[in-house]
Amino acid sequence: MKSAPGLRSYAILYLVFLYGPILILPLFAFNNATVVSFPLSGFTTKWFSEMMADQALWRALRTSLQISLSTAVIATALGVMAARAAVRYRWPGKPGVMGLILLPLVLPEIIIAMSMLIVLIWLGAPQMWFTVILGHVLITLPFSVTIMTAAFQSIDVSFEEAALDLGETPISSFRLITLPLVMPGIISSFLISFTISIDEYIIANFLGGNDTALSVYIYGQFRFPAKVPMVLALGTCLVAMSILLLTIAEYFRRRGVARVGGKDSGGFL
Amino acid sequence: MTFSADKPTMIEFKDVHKYYGDYHALRGINGTIKAGEFFSLLGPSGCGKTTLLRTIAGFEDISSGVVMIDGKSMADVPANVRPTNMVFQSYAIFPHMSVEENVGFGLRRDPRSKAEKAKAVDEALEMVGLKGYGKRAAHALSGGQRQRVALARALILKPKVLLLDEPLSALDKKMREHMQVELIKLQRQVGITFILVTHDQEEALVMSDRIAVMFEGEIAQLADPETLYRRPNSKKVADFIGTMNFIPCTILSESGDKVEVDAKGLGKVALDIHQAPPAKGETPVVGLRPETLTLLYPGQSANDRETDGVIDEVIYFGDMTYYDVYLGGTDVEVRLSMRNVPGRPVLDVGTKVRVAWSPEALVLFR
Repeated sequence: MKSAPGLRSYAILYLVFLYGPILILPLFAFNNATVVSFPLSGFTTKWFSEMMADQALWRALRTSLQISLSTAVIATALGVMAARAAVRYRWPGKPGVMGLILLPLVLPEIIIAMSMLIVLIWLGAPQMWFTVILGHVLITLPFSVTIMTAAFQSIDVSFEEAALDLGETPISSFRLITLPLVMPGIISSFLISFTISIDEYIIANFLGGNDTALSVYIYGQFRFPAKVPMVLALGTCLVAMSILLLTIAEYFRRRGVARVGGKDSGGFL
Repeated sequence: MTFSADKPTMIEFKDVHKYYGDYHALRGINGTIKAGEFFSLLGPSGCGKTTLLRTIAGFEDISSGVVMIDGKSMADVPANVRPTNMVFQSYAIFPHMSVEENVGFGLRRDPRSKAEKAKAVDEALEMVGLKGYGKRAAHALSGGQRQRVALARALILKPKVLLLDEPLSALDKKMREHMQVELIKLQRQVGITFILVTHDQEEALVMSDRIAVMFEGEIAQLADPETLYRRPNSKKVADFIGTMNFIPCTILSESGDKVEVDAKGLGKVALDIHQAPPAKGETPVVGLRPETLTLLYPGQSANDRETDGVIDEVIYFGDMTYYDVYLGGTDVEVRLSMRNVPGRPVLDVGTKVRVAWSPEALVLFR
């Protein structure tokens, strides 16, 4: 292909615009000044120390991990079941049910959060980390089901039948054959659900009650100018964690593709 | 044809019906498959042959009727405990396992020691000509090799019946013909009942001891290949297996073991009753295979009957030439095949010829 100089500069500008602001994060996280502005006034790690010493932050992080890990596990497990039912079996009302599962994808989160809150109050249920999980499962399930459907579709239906034919029970056939083959999908689904859940704000804020999630905590801290550099330090850590997680996920996905000799179609991540 | 009728019954179908919702997929299947037989289920796609095979394996429940394997009813016997193993159309080689893990998969619940199982895997691989391939990754194999792995994996359990679901359809023509012969040899070697599903009539004729021809959920004819080819019991079977010329005729008389017909272009012919399968209520025609008609060259004369004709089309195949010939000044066209041998020139379109034929080769459909 002939290279067009216009397109090249466009691509560079695009990437700078997209990722430039994220690079600001570490820059000011190590800057020795409370005010986020140029020129930089010197290197420091004190914001990180302040972050480490913040008990409320650790509590929020623990709450968030509790919510996000549970969400990822539940959404992925439900996704596996729904996707298998959708790909392998014919049952009445399938298009409608699958459509309803995917619906939260296009529903505004604020609507979901408000309606769930109304129902919870009506039921007299307390708002806590557990209710946030319910909301997060609802919004991550469409992703999990989509990823798992693709994973199941790529597997020959005969594999499970062959295992059955060779003497395994339906459950052991699933465990020995299907599960290892959809494992890359399960890992993808887990990571996507986790990522969506951990940075979700609206539902966490509405349904969390006194259990403050990390996103809610960050938003709260941002109102105090003195806390901004510390939040930037926290953001730096989160970006580093994200990059690490995505790298690990991609590594496992590529290894999975290579192991079964499939053609790499680019993957989800 | 090494098949002998006195062998014990391995599989028996008694009035087997299968419905998918309103769709009647199997419409009263009856018949038996003998132990050690190479049996084929032949028919066009959608005729129910694969469904029938899957009812033997236990992947499909039947709506009514009985499937017996080795004298036992298979009702309520799940697929994983049936004495059958299957070679799938897609081969279903587990892609995340090596060749030996695939072949040894069925031995997971076998109480034998690890060393004995490894030996069994090696023997199975050797039997299908894949000795030394055990450590290879399954996805790195060619189509033919995958099929051999699927065979070894199914045969290692020494099933009473091996089920083959169109196992050769994914291979190219050369490989397919090669594997046909290998499968026949393998079946003779292991002595297991093989049941093959195929839509390829040539494949069924080459490989089988007996063939069940299926149309629309029913067995139209169950016979050995020669009977099926020479004495098809209906126009449909005759048309599906090989090529057959159909010539309109009128039935003049029918008495005892003789049927006399007047076939258009051929004239009056007396047929033996065994050349006239039971009537199906159709417009009467007589059928003739192309190779039972012979072009007479100048100086040759017919052993039996002969009819004048004009060549309308010549199709040259190298070893053979096919001629389409109008018979005796009528609009009846028949196809005949002639072997191309020295001293037998290929004739041109429009040549007036004499066609020799024998009443014995005729089959009457009515």
